Amino acid sequence: MLDRDISRRRFLTGSALAAGGALGVPLLGACDASSDGDSSGDGKTVTLTVMYKNNELTKEHIADFEAKHPGIKISFIEFDETRLNAMLASNEPPDFVRAPAVGSAANNAQGLTTALDPYLDKSTVLTKDNLMAVNESFRWDGKVTGQGPYYGITKDWSQDATLWYNRALFEQAKIPPLSTTEPISYDELLEIAKKLTKKSGGKTQVYGLGVEWAWGMSAPIFMMILQQGGQVYNADLTETDMTTPEAKRAIQWYVDFGQAGVGPTTLDPAPDGADLSLFLAKRMAITQDGYWYGGNFVKESEEIKNSVAMAPAPVMGDKRISPTYVGWGAMIPAKARHKDEAWKLMEYFMAGPPSEERAKSGWGLPGLKSQLSLLPQELPYQKQAYQTTQAELQYAGQLPDSPYMTGGGWLPVLDKHITRAIKKEITVDAACKAITDEINKLLKQGKDQIR
Amino acid sequence: MEAERARRGRRRWSRYPSRTFYLFVSPWVLGFALLTALPLGYALLVSFTNFNGRNSRWRWVGMRNYTELVRDADVIASLVRTLAYTAITVPLMVAGGLGLAVLLNRRLKAVGLFRTIFFLPSVVPVVAMAIMWKLIFNRDAGILNAILEKVSVGPIAWLVDPNAFYALIILTLWGLGGGMVIMLAALQSVPVELEEAAVVDGASRWHVFRHVTVPMISPVIFFQVVTGVIASFQIIIQPLLLAESNQVGSVALVPQSTHLYMVQVYEEFFNNNRYGFGSAMLWVFFLVILAITLVVQRSSRLWVHYQVDSEAER
Repeated sequence: MLDRDISRRRFLTGSALAAGGALGVPLLGACDASSDGDSSGDGKTVTLTVMYKNNELTKEHIADFEAKHPGIKISFIEFDETRLNAMLASNEPPDFVRAPAVGSAANNAQGLTTALDPYLDKSTVLTKDNLMAVNESFRWDGKVTGQGPYYGITKDWSQDATLWYNRALFEQAKIPPLSTTEPISYDELLEIAKKLTKKSGGKTQVYGLGVEWAWGMSAPIFMMILQQGGQVYNADLTETDMTTPEAKRAIQWYVDFGQAGVGPTTLDPAPDGADLSLFLAKRMAITQDGYWYGGNFVKESEEIKNSVAMAPAPVMGDKRISPTYVGWGAMIPAKARHKDEAWKLMEYFMAGPPSEERAKSGWGLPGLKSQLSLLPQELPYQKQAYQTTQAELQYAGQLPDSPYMTGGGWLPVLDKHITRAIKKEITVDAACKAITDEINKLLKQGKDQIR
Repeated sequence: MEAERARRGRRRWSRYPSRTFYLFVSPWVLGFALLTALPLGYALLVSFTNFNGRNSRWRWVGMRNYTELVRDADVIASLVRTLAYTAITVPLMVAGGLGLAVLLNRRLKAVGLFRTIFFLPSVVPVVAMAIMWKLIFNRDAGILNAILEKVSVGPIAWLVDPNAFYALIILTLWGLGGGMVIMLAALQSVPVELEEAAVVDGASRWHVFRHVTVPMISPVIFFQVVTGVIASFQIIIQPLLLAESNQVGSVALVPQSTHLYMVQVYEEFFNNNRYGFGSAMLWVFFLVILAITLVVQRSSRLWVHYQVDSEAER
């Protein structure tokens, strides 16, 4: 008889074995997967694990790269921050990963990235003297960004505080258009936004100004502080002080912006969280976005293409700075298995055909000086944006980047307290104090995590 | 006496042939081990560390995450909001589901159609439902404000504080058709002769419902309460999707009134990279849910009536 009676003890023992077996299966599977990975590096064909966005590093790019490098096969993983974290934590990272320039300090300080200087020194394709200044944000010397080795290369970028506006809406409001060469002050910008805003019956027909509220406020506030000659962090990037006059003025501007109701905020959110749909629907006169924004208009109506124009980043002080807020690019993790092959992909992606395609499309500025001339100038608005950008480049500057927290950590804190100040639940001074306290707490925790 | 008890226990277990038994329970045992026990144990381990989710150089911090979280004003506020949300939505869901079930447990024309209409929202994927309601609640272009305008009300900014909380409750109640179906099944299992006997004894329709129907379906009501409490405590997708954001899973701009406990957990994990702290929050929450479920279960002795099949007992 095959079936036997079962006792409670036997059941429990069996269950424990089953559970133990269940736990053991993935561990064995993990060992197996790991040995598969090694076997790919047999000297003939190397399998390069790449984590990127598939609309940036496309199937065509991968096929072209593999054709040009017969010894390398790409195993593609769609970019996923959580999965990347897990892979980094388990010391099984991809070989080539999408990464931002501003915000790279955290990875660099934790020793998670590879210094690229030895590769840059040898390369004939990617050279240090050809790198745009935005790549400085990928540098880290153990204490601050902008110095030391390069830990990544920027794919494309923009000076994100520049303004795009719709001239037709200015004409309707009988307001002269913004200068495309001279920056406007933030205070003037707010006044103009008030005049451009049209409201009726508690609803907003036209917003005067969008600041991409949902994308983050830390970078623009940092820029405002720097423009006034202030500092965001202390020397070792472990503390912030948002109660300084420069920080207070920046936060006060955001509170004034929210109270004026001239653009989407958390209290008056844009339907899809971004300014673009409102801008294209001619329901927003000015939007604060970088050069890349021009890529949106190529396929739009002639009316839109003939109405849009780009203006320099506004200023809040004597020091003109117009930085990038992010600057997406790529890094090679410190524990990557195939760094040499990953560097070949870096050369291909950052200086080869994909980079030329990107520059010609107008969806951002190139990471290389030699490719600036490829930016599109066929359409009148593209030509105007090109000229404005050429002049703006000299003010690029660099935002501070603490390794102990990211812009993602700043946003909820800034939003919470600025929103309360807009609603007059607290004063701007109280908001500045609360922001300082909460961010310093997060910085302390961040420092503790990577000590 | 002891020997008799042991023999009875053994007899109960020995009814099942072992191979078949193992075959049937193994999917559940495997699933439990891999998807429940393992993550629970791992989260417990992580909760005693300063792990940031990315760097393998973590270290032990003892009870620090736990002591910090009970002093963290944001954590406490999110827990209070979650309790309020649960206290409001669970009774409304259960009562609403029961009310609809009573309405549709009659011989009406096209009753099947009505049942389908009420049930349909609960099978719409939560993402689609949340996006639909986000459009309905839109201040400037939403249909709700357009209707309210006809009666000279508004426009109301539904998706910002404090209205976002009410918007979330409305969205939750939209799915009460699922509970309705379960209640309907329970109502249809109530023996008609019991109700008829009560009517013969002179009971009004309300008295029949109150003293016959409700006690008979009380185990189902109890089930709805327990599962409702657990689901309400764990809500996260709806607040995230109703918030201003163009990034999937972005937690940064969730209004304070809908910044519930799981949203706070999400923020700690993925915005602040505090995996240790987030894991401690999850464990505390697990214990809170367990405690509340136990309280509800204990209270069931007072109001849940089980039909006992004396034949089966023997």
